[in-house]
Amino acid sequence: MSVMQNNSEKSKWYLPGVLGGLSVTMKHMVTNLLNRKKMMTLNYPEEKYDYSPRFKGNHVLTVKKDGSLRCTACMLCATNCPAECIKIVAAEHNDPAVEKFPIAYEIDILRCVFCGFCEEACPVDAIRLGPEWQTPAVNGGQFIYDINHLAYRPNLKGGIQTHVDDEERHKQGI
Amino acid sequence: MPKCTINGKEVEVKEGSSIIEAMQVSGDRIAHYCWHPGLSVAGVCRLCVVEIEGNPRVQIACNTMVTEGMKINNTSEKVKDTVKWGLDFHLINHPLDCPICDQAGECGLQDQYMEYGKYDPEMAEAKVKKHKVVDLGPTVVLDSERCILCSRCVRFTEEVSKTNELGLFNRGDRTEIGTHDGMPLDNKYSLNTVDICPVGALTSKDFRFRQRVWYLKDGDSVCNGCSTGCNIKVYYNKEGLFRIKPVYNEQVNGHWMCDSGRNAYKFVNRDARLLKGVARGVEMAPGAAAKNANEVLKNTAGDAIALVLTAQYTLEEYEAIIKTFVEEFKTKKVFFWINNKETFDSFDGLLSRGDKNPNTKGLLKVMEKHGITATWNDLSAGLANGSIKTVVVAGPENQVVFPEYNERLKELSKAQNLIWMQSGKNEALSALTGNVWIIPMKTFVEKDGTFINYSGLEQKIKKVTTVVSEALTLTEAALLLAGKNLAMPMTAPFMPTNQRPDQVELEHRKKNEFVFRRGSL
Repeated sequence: MSVMQNNSEKSKWYLPGVLGGLSVTMKHMVTNLLNRKKMMTLNYPEEKYDYSPRFKGNHVLTVKKDGSLRCTACMLCATNCPAECIKIVAAEHNDPAVEKFPIAYEIDILRCVFCGFCEEACPVDAIRLGPEWQTPAVNGGQFIYDINHLAYRPNLKGGIQTHVDDEERHKQGI
Repeated sequence: MPKCTINGKEVEVKEGSSIIEAMQVSGDRIAHYCWHPGLSVAGVCRLCVVEIEGNPRVQIACNTMVTEGMKINNTSEKVKDTVKWGLDFHLINHPLDCPICDQAGECGLQDQYMEYGKYDPEMAEAKVKKHKVVDLGPTVVLDSERCILCSRCVRFTEEVSKTNELGLFNRGDRTEIGTHDGMPLDNKYSLNTVDICPVGALTSKDFRFRQRVWYLKDGDSVCNGCSTGCNIKVYYNKEGLFRIKPVYNEQVNGHWMCDSGRNAYKFVNRDARLLKGVARGVEMAPGAAAKNANEVLKNTAGDAIALVLTAQYTLEEYEAIIKTFVEEFKTKKVFFWINNKETFDSFDGLLSRGDKNPNTKGLLKVMEKHGITATWNDLSAGLANGSIKTVVVAGPENQVVFPEYNERLKELSKAQNLIWMQSGKNEALSALTGNVWIIPMKTFVEKDGTFINYSGLEQKIKKVTTVVSEALTLTEAALLLAGKNLAMPMTAPFMPTNQRPDQVELEHRKKNEFVFRRGSL
């Protein structure tokens, strides 16, 4: 990088520059005071900006109609994850129709790069990147999202269902 | 010895061998689902088709014998088309549950589909639904939808285990594998059916859903379960060992291994292992505990030291520790701890032997070499009258096969000083107090060595992985107990280790004459 230096006589006069900047600030202040609806800022966190539903934000584990997890613990998302942030422990389900399900599904959100490879890899549309984008937490432990957070956090209002329906799929003989 | 040509290569094969065997010799790839080298030929999967010159139709390779001058081809368009349609039939009722299926990643159908398939199915009918998650017995779970009816498992129970539990029931596309009424698949070799199942129809309850196979690495070893010494592959990753599968060795185990041998991975895993050494109730690193124990051994007279060995260590380790005791400590009181002596010579006719130690022959060989004749009665008497003060024990790795462990432990703990070396955790052992040293040992997958099996066959084992890195081998422990230090294999820093012997070294390069020197021109 090259640094240009302005050594002219004019550059020593800093006051016009300061006053010029201040006038821009004052202009905005006056317009905001007179017309508050056109203000360009948000009062975060009281006011939040909603991105498009296609925005790739925080992960969501989708659920079936009965509210149980869709995930079959096939580990394709964990295999495909370039950041290696997904950890799954599979177990045998009591219901023979389900057979296999995750007893632990953890995403280390600090490692996650939000590339969306997990939703690409998922054969049953069980994991998605949702429109939520805020990931604040108080300590390190809260950055590891478990099943409870991924599928049943309060914003999801009981879980997100997907359009892929197993029963219909089976009826069609697929 | 007939000669035949396979895909343009001339191959000489044994008299009476089939085309598929000839292809194994020539190294050509051919799919086979029902054919297994250890079982009879069934010829039901129809996927090992080949084209034979002069024959208008394609033939199956497993049931056609090689004749002199036969010209065989399995790469032609005709064969590919046949395989494709054969595969289509196989996949008619096959469910798409690869995400749930344990075989995903090592499934023959997946491989075959990627090679020959990639078609749109032309079946208008719905798939036939069969039974899923059928509990066949204590070890195996069946999913009959995934089954392609190759009958390998049925033939296994008929021909190898000779228990006849399995059968094919119903007709046509409703055929299913099942057990005969009141006869669960419960024999000592039942998990071999899981190995030979070419798809994920039979799954092992033990391994089921615990790990996807593509996360596992494998390494060759020899089974620690009994004196047969079956050749095995252990599957592991950084979380530990997950399963054991047999490797073909004609001299030892053929294609099979027993179910109890497959459990041998459990005592290797970290949760079953001793991690810290103990010296007189103080926890320390294993090496430090062994070094600490040296002080007692040093101060005990040679006659008062006894060494107790179980036949679960390698030949080299016995050599090292017995030599140390005979030469350093001048004691010939070395005792062989025999577990269940009565059943030692029993044999079930296939693989499993009553002697549940992998290296009994090896231990006896080394003891004989050093002229050791002591018997267990000498030890008991010595402990009773107090002439034996310090006892060093190399305890079992596989504690399950030592049912009298606790009684022996009680007997040996009568000694003034007890130095116990063992790989696995044991509550009774950890509860001992007083002059007790506990030194964690490495298990058979963590070290190099030799096992001598029941027939005197020496088999080398190689280190596969390390589970508890700080644990010692018996050789290392012998050095430390004798008060010596471990010689760490150190490579010289900054020296290339991959140099060829004829590589030009830097010294020679400096002598290069064609160097431009300023002012020399």
